[in-house]
Amino acid sequence: MTDPLHELADKQAALGEVRGAPAPDPVNAPMIRHWLAAMGDANPVYLEQGVAPPAMAQVWTMDAPRDRSPVDDVLAALDDAGYTGVVATDCGQTYHRYARLGERLTPATRFTDLAGPKRTALGVGFFATWNVTWYDEDHRPVAEMLFRVLKFRPPEVGKPYPLQPAVNQDTAFFWEGAKQGELRIQRCADCGALRHPPGPMCPACRSTARTHAVATGRGTLHSFVVHHHPPVPGRELPFVVGVVELPEGVRIVGNVVDCPIEKVEVGMPLRVTFRPMDDRLVLPLWTPEEA
Amino acid sequence: MLSGRAAIGGIGATEFSKESGRSELRLAAEAVLAALDDAGLSPADVDGMVTYSQDTNQEIAVARETGVGDLTFFSRVEYGGGAACGTVAHAAMAVATGLARTVVCYRAFNERSGRRFGQPNAGLSGEPTSQGLEMSWHVPYGLITPAAWVAMFARRYMHVYGATSEDFGRVAVTMRRHAATNPAAWFHGRPITLEEHQASRWIAEPLHLLDCCQESDGAVALVVTSAERARDLRRPPALITAAAQGSGAGQMMMTSYYRDDMTGLPEMSVVARQLWEMSGLSPSDVQAAILYDHFTPFVLTQLEELGFCGRGEAPGFVRDGGIALDGALPVNPHGGQLGEAYIHGMNGIAEAVRQLRGDAANQLAGVTNVLVTAGTGVPTSGLILSSG
Amino acid sequence: MTPETLPETLPELAIDLTPTLIVSTALATRDFTPVHHDPAIARAQGSKDIFLNILTTMGLVERFVTDWAGPRAVIERVDVRLGVPAYAGDRLTFGGTVTSRAGGRVTVRVHGRVSLGDHATGTVTLKEDGRC
Ligand SMILES: [Zn+2]
Repeated sequence: MTDPLHELADKQAALGEVRGAPAPDPVNAPMIRHWLAAMGDANPVYLEQGVAPPAMAQVWTMDAPRDRSPVDDVLAALDDAGYTGVVATDCGQTYHRYARLGERLTPATRFTDLAGPKRTALGVGFFATWNVTWYDEDHRPVAEMLFRVLKFRPPEVGKPYPLQPAVNQDTAFFWEGAKQGELRIQRCADCGALRHPPGPMCPACRSTARTHAVATGRGTLHSFVVHHHPPVPGRELPFVVGVVELPEGVRIVGNVVDCPIEKVEVGMPLRVTFRPMDDRLVLPLWTPEEA
Repeated sequence: MLSGRAAIGGIGATEFSKESGRSELRLAAEAVLAALDDAGLSPADVDGMVTYSQDTNQEIAVARETGVGDLTFFSRVEYGGGAACGTVAHAAMAVATGLARTVVCYRAFNERSGRRFGQPNAGLSGEPTSQGLEMSWHVPYGLITPAAWVAMFARRYMHVYGATSEDFGRVAVTMRRHAATNPAAWFHGRPITLEEHQASRWIAEPLHLLDCCQESDGAVALVVTSAERARDLRRPPALITAAAQGSGAGQMMMTSYYRDDMTGLPEMSVVARQLWEMSGLSPSDVQAAILYDHFTPFVLTQLEELGFCGRGEAPGFVRDGGIALDGALPVNPHGGQLGEAYIHGMNGIAEAVRQLRGDAANQLAGVTNVLVTAGTGVPTSGLILSSG
Repeated sequence: MTPETLPETLPELAIDLTPTLIVSTALATRDFTPVHHDPAIARAQGSKDIFLNILTTMGLVERFVTDWAGPRAVIERVDVRLGVPAYAGDRLTFGGTVTSRAGGRVTVRVHGRVSLGDHATGTVTLKEDGRC
């Protein structure tokens, strides 16, 4: 690989092990006691024998002044390239021996590997791996750690769906209902007539008093088109739009989804499904009703 | 009563192209001058102007460019191509009531090289106006193009009457055959076969590309004046025997899917009823029809709504050659919008005038009454023009 | 304790992830990252709540194994694959089995699960009776 990210990774790996600042405090009983209490670890061996729980290796150097490590440049470059998401995937620790009270440990970091780009469940990303070794004052290794993170490009969340409905006080109830998983049909509060699309005045009795019914969510395909051309923003081609007749006696337009296009036919039974199009719009769409 | 009070005394047009290379206002001005010249009138004679709500050229701007002075009447007609015959209806009313003496109706656009109506426009549902709200029940689902809006009706028509894509295709084939012998048509000399129609790509199933009319740049203008005065003009008048607009119950702009029957065009039925009543004529009295043909399926529906055949019988009527030049009802001898040009129906009115004058490219014999319709699927309008 | 006395299956360890536990372990590991103690910040960054830090996960794996192996055991190696977050309010349940045993060295397969799935899975290698 010769792209800039791998070039940088190779350069940082070539630096080898880079020493950091020594731990600010020697291995000490109060921090061990604090750790054991927080973990609920009743193992008496540590305080009895004056050794630290081995998993504390990194704890001793958490407060050390942070010099720039070979890892930081790689992570920053990944951020700049849009791989801003991060999640740790692996942590492996090898303990040569347990650290003893009074010892002062010094970490050293080595960047080992950059793998990717790879397609992951979180999005496309790179796996970055590095190793840290904690040395004692005689420069002998006490513990080692392999650490791996996935730096990923977050999927475009919150990208607005381009085909938004206009909404006003006569229609808001419908779109609110869709967000709550309800297919709402306007009902005249006076004569009870159901109506879709809704409006401010009942065409049957001229009442402006309105309420709504929640439809059963079943319907029959009355007509449909398969849109092939031209491209429509926010939509993958081809797609199906139908007029759906509800048992409640009104019709509504919506997409027929989760059905092979050649299987779509006038008269087919449908069931409503609610699909978020972005973080503010939910559309009621239609899937084949299982027989 | 409006019948016979006014007439179309002049017609004018620019060339029909895919890229006019000129501004829409210039196209309008050129067509208006051509129509006045055809009538033997001058801009000084004009005191009224009517166009479509969708036209981008205001009446005052066209008046300024053409040197027209005072206007005592100006008006716009709504609903896209549904406005076509409505402009003549408004002009005829103005003339008949004395609001104006000479009214020019025009439509000018660069629909191919400029803003194309067939392209998705998410802004259709952008504002909570009554139309924006109406669109909001359709646009979010990607139901956003005129072809798709019409295809929804067409599928239901096929389902109910057993019509096929070939039935729609025969309309396109006939229109292209007519255009092939009309030198003014974009598709002059370029007929198509039914096989080519079937092989053309899907736009919005069940509509193929060749079910959809072309897109054009161009302008057409008409001069409307009183019947008496029209008789003294340079060319023979086309009397306005009937003029009507129509909208049906539960009407929407182009998505009236919520009415009981999706296989008809109730708004065209409203127009038809008025045309026959106002003219005192019946379908057998017209020798040609100019039927709005932006998409083929609605040509079939119009034949039924206007009474030229019964419900569900239009596919058979067309299959039997009924709309050909030698058919029972020759339709769009100029090739229609599928063949000649898409000037939002205005070019069809000009063709009706030519057929009455006797100087059309595909002139029919013995034409005394021509029925003309405007945009379909939308609130619409119609005319019966007669020789006189 | 002799090698033979260690059972093949480790006794389950269930830990209620109270906010107190999440915060106190984070601080005991000297990890002051706000997502491990400040719910508002954690939520603002897209998390459901505050969650366990990795150093604590390693510490709890170690505790789980030594609870079973006893004070004479010496941990030599812990390899953990990290999975779903362990949020406050959830319960972290450890289980494990011995996968190999040779020369006083035992390898244990370990998993720690929360309601969302596997939080940590891995292996721990230890000497059953060693010198620290
Ligand atoms: Zn009512």
